[in-house]
Amino acid sequence: MSEMWINMGPQHPMTHGLWNLRVKIDGEMILDVDPEMGYLHRGIEKISEDRHYNEVVTLMDRCCYVAGFAWEHLYILASEGALHIQPPERAEYLRVLCDEFQRIGSHIMWYAAFVQDLGLMSPFLYGMRDRDLVLDLFQSYTGARMTYEYMRVGGVRSDLPPGFTDRARQVLDWLTQRYEEYDQLCLGSTIFRKRCDDLGTLKAADCVAHGVTGPMLRAAGMKRDLRRDRPYAVYPQLDFDVAVADGADVTARYLVRMEELRQSVRILRQVVDWLDRHPGPVMAEQLPRWLGAPYAPVGAEGYLLKRNFPKGVGFSSVEEPHGEAQAYVVNEGGEHPYRVKFRSPVFANISAARQYLVGYHVADIPPIMGSVDVCVGEVDR
Amino acid sequence: MQPADLEAALRPKLGDRLLTVEPFARTAGRVRFRRDGALDLFRTMRDDLAYRHLSMVGAIDWVDHREVFYVLWSDERTEYVLLSADVPADDARIETASGVWPSANWHEREAWEMVDVLFDHHPDLRHLLTPDGYAFHPLLRSFKLHEPEELEVKTRHV
Repeated sequence: MSEMWINMGPQHPMTHGLWNLRVKIDGEMILDVDPEMGYLHRGIEKISEDRHYNEVVTLMDRCCYVAGFAWEHLYILASEGALHIQPPERAEYLRVLCDEFQRIGSHIMWYAAFVQDLGLMSPFLYGMRDRDLVLDLFQSYTGARMTYEYMRVGGVRSDLPPGFTDRARQVLDWLTQRYEEYDQLCLGSTIFRKRCDDLGTLKAADCVAHGVTGPMLRAAGMKRDLRRDRPYAVYPQLDFDVAVADGADVTARYLVRMEELRQSVRILRQVVDWLDRHPGPVMAEQLPRWLGAPYAPVGAEGYLLKRNFPKGVGFSSVEEPHGEAQAYVVNEGGEHPYRVKFRSPVFANISAARQYLVGYHVADIPPIMGSVDVCVGEVDR
Repeated sequence: MQPADLEAALRPKLGDRLLTVEPFARTAGRVRFRRDGALDLFRTMRDDLAYRHLSMVGAIDWVDHREVFYVLWSDERTEYVLLSADVPADDARIETASGVWPSANWHEREAWEMVDVLFDHHPDLRHLLTPDGYAFHPLLRSFKLHEPEELEVKTRHV
């Protein structure tokens, strides 16, 4: 049989977003792949050069629609580094609360979509049901279910509403029970194991060479987690384990994400308890005044202060649900960032596609790409 | 690792192609180098200093020149380091890092199409996020956001 290139995408159930996986096949064998990105490119880095510091937060939510909080946090950390601003401790705990609930939301979303790729319909519905509880919590304190615009340079927009921590504990209790169900449905299924074991293998050394991070890297046995290795916010005060597995295959990635779901619950219980005991401000007091009034008319008193703005470069990195995200924010003294550059973990994970797809069959592509957890919004930015 | 340690480790290999090593928040430091020392620096960072993970490559348009920067990570030291080289705007080119770290491949494709920095000996320098034949480099300062640009987009595969 002769070789040929086929397009999986830009509209294909496997893609989970708008991108195109070109696959060179001989019969059913994959000989080569060439991912094509850019269908969702919105020029977020360019638009950021024309936006006020706090306005960029709005764009960050649109980077990844299942992990908006993680991207907000990433950008805020870099900006605060460039502006030399320290947020109050309660704001840091609130950010971790956002991050970890976001990780749960993102991983459950991944679980739902991944098992549906395998043809298992019920777990998809269970996953969406449970993720909705997390979104309800987000809605109760940000007003939004996906695009939150909650974090600010210097803190967060608002404190939690009354009764939030009790509702959060109920959700955590519910989720803890549901995780057992997830495992029974997948790990207990012979079909699932036959489909996923020894599939899409990517060893640790290849992961590192090709920049693969996050659950894919930890599934290869490498214990790298920025929350532990380069802690930010209040992660050093929190007690949790880094999830690892050593299969380096699709099943191992499943196991890592399931363990991370459990560890996030563990972190959140500590955060919620802390928030109950420590009321306080959620915004830094010593802020340049124009930061608090981004829409003040030009010439107003607040705007004059922008001349005192410190020049500098901010660099930050966070453990996003998909892996290691980085931001590089250059400030040249204006009211807008001079240059903003983001590193998306999925960008690197997809760029290594040749390493974990070649040699398998066409029918293996949906489970393998599913185990990568693709979010095109943050790849294209 | 402190910036002084980095300089002590790199200076014998690079000589005056290494410019400065300055402190940089959340990293071991920022290494500024001349672009003709790029490949030697990359190999030293990976092989001698165990920076086996390249996180990202980006470029900045400073109008009179352009800057290419690299973020590296070492699992042994759990530490970042930044590399940075200035290239002239009228001859914006530098040696590719993708031979040393394969992960540089896509980052350099993006930096090339967005900021117009050419990466010599890159194995696959094609458009990544913009369409083939797209004649503009959107992240240059001369690219105006509020003015329409006319372009003819070729389809990639017919």
